[in-house]
Amino acid sequence: MTNIQTKRQLNEEYKNIKYILTSTMRSRLILAMYRSPKNLEELRNELKKPSATILHGLKELETKNLIRKVQKKYQLTSNGFLLATNMIKLIENWSSINKNTSFWDNHDLKGIPKELLKNMHLLKDATYITSTTSDLSNAFNKYINLISTSKELKIIMPIYSENHFRHIIGLLNENKLNYLELVISKEILSSIRLNESLKKALLRNKKVKIICVKKNLKIFLTYSPEFMSLTLFFKDGHYDDSQILIGKSENSLKWASELYSTYKEVNHEEK
Amino acid sequence: MISHYDLNSDIKFLAKSEIRLKIISELQNKPKSVKDLVKTTKITYSSISSNLTKLEEHNYVTKKKNKYYLNPLSEIYYKNLMDFKMSVDLINDFNDFWNKHNIDQLSIESIQNIIDLKDSKLVKTSPLDIYKTHNTIKKKIIESRNIKAIFPYLHPEYPQLIENILENDGTVELIIPKNMFKKMILEIEEDIRKSATKNGRLKVYTTADELKLYLTLCDESMSLGLFKNDGSFDQNRILISSSEKSQKWADDLFTTMKEKM
Repeated sequence: MTNIQTKRQLNEEYKNIKYILTSTMRSRLILAMYRSPKNLEELRNELKKPSATILHGLKELETKNLIRKVQKKYQLTSNGFLLATNMIKLIENWSSINKNTSFWDNHDLKGIPKELLKNMHLLKDATYITSTTSDLSNAFNKYINLISTSKELKIIMPIYSENHFRHIIGLLNENKLNYLELVISKEILSSIRLNESLKKALLRNKKVKIICVKKNLKIFLTYSPEFMSLTLFFKDGHYDDSQILIGKSENSLKWASELYSTYKEVNHEEK
Repeated sequence: MISHYDLNSDIKFLAKSEIRLKIISELQNKPKSVKDLVKTTKITYSSISSNLTKLEEHNYVTKKKNKYYLNPLSEIYYKNLMDFKMSVDLINDFNDFWNKHNIDQLSIESIQNIIDLKDSKLVKTSPLDIYKTHNTIKKKIIESRNIKAIFPYLHPEYPQLIENILENDGTVELIIPKNMFKKMILEIEEDIRKSATKNGRLKVYTTADELKLYLTLCDESMSLGLFKNDGSFDQNRILISSSEKSQKWADDLFTTMKEKM
């Protein structure tokens, strides 16, 4: 195959996204009309471009059947609306990752299923907190603070940490926490069994439901009706307790609950 | 709030060059050298090499001993971009179905997940088979034990189809316009209807609002129909799919509609 043919094939394959994603004018016009139909003057003011440029862009989009003119206003067609909605999702996914780039880039993401990595836009309101040299346990303290007011918690716990357990058991004993669901691996479960006080406080507690999974866990996820938090492992396999991602929006909780259910569903056995 | 939406330069940087996209897709499974890439992609050595340098500068790939590795985030960016590509392709592939049709009642979430419909087939009537769409769905309903459906209009066969499912101990969940209740539901044989309602096998949600969406979720398939912009139902086109994802898509849409009522 010659290079020209290869190029043509590639052109064909990607032409649809290229058309829309490489032109600032076209994409801005679509986004402007996504909010509401606009007349030429409104578009001119919003995009701060001369009429001729805008009209040229509008003409192109009209030919592609993405917009139409109804009376004096330009509006998205149904195709245009479908496209715009998905373009916004792409932009939000991207900016949601960018907002917390070092959190995502520093860690092993294999524990997060592909489907959820493609819905990062849900986490656009989440932010991460880092421990600093002057406050080494900043992330941990934030976590303890978050769970301290929860009545209900669901946790995927990939580590055996007496420090964490101590705080959680405290909440259970003080009757602040009424329900705890804990997804753990077999190894962690056996470690808990070997510790009499943990065994009693967690395994023989009506308020606690243990879900044991065969899978090797690589995420520390906590969510309640009020917040979600996530800590991860470094790429070298070590747990990182210095960075925690926290979200409180409805969408962040939705992301967490979907992530949680993918773990809960994988061949589990209870207690 | 939406005003900050803008395509950032990263998205443009990737989307601008098919060669860069191709390189990333090739590096997804394993790291490769320039030579490997030339061999598998048939793109010239100079193009590959110059684009790899640019990708490295933008932190998408890392070079270690002759081989290029994809950085973990690059893969996520790429997958998101390909999802967008798939959604654009899907919109174009079923252009006849969406174009000039009312999609107001599709939830934003269902539109964001539109690629779940990618294995769908567009069933169209033809002059030789003007009932093809109806008969296709009818067959699916007959074969189903349970159905969920949004029926925005009444077809004279529906009461009987529903009755048959209930008679076989199946379950039926319906969203229908309020004014159809009498003609659709009360047409079902009284004993069957009452006992099914009592034990929760027949659930009907009615709305005074106009329904602008046709949806059926059968045991092994889903189908979707739309209204035209002129307000009439398009009886000539339905999108039908039996993939698991499309069924979940339909189920989510049904739940969203139900919750709105």
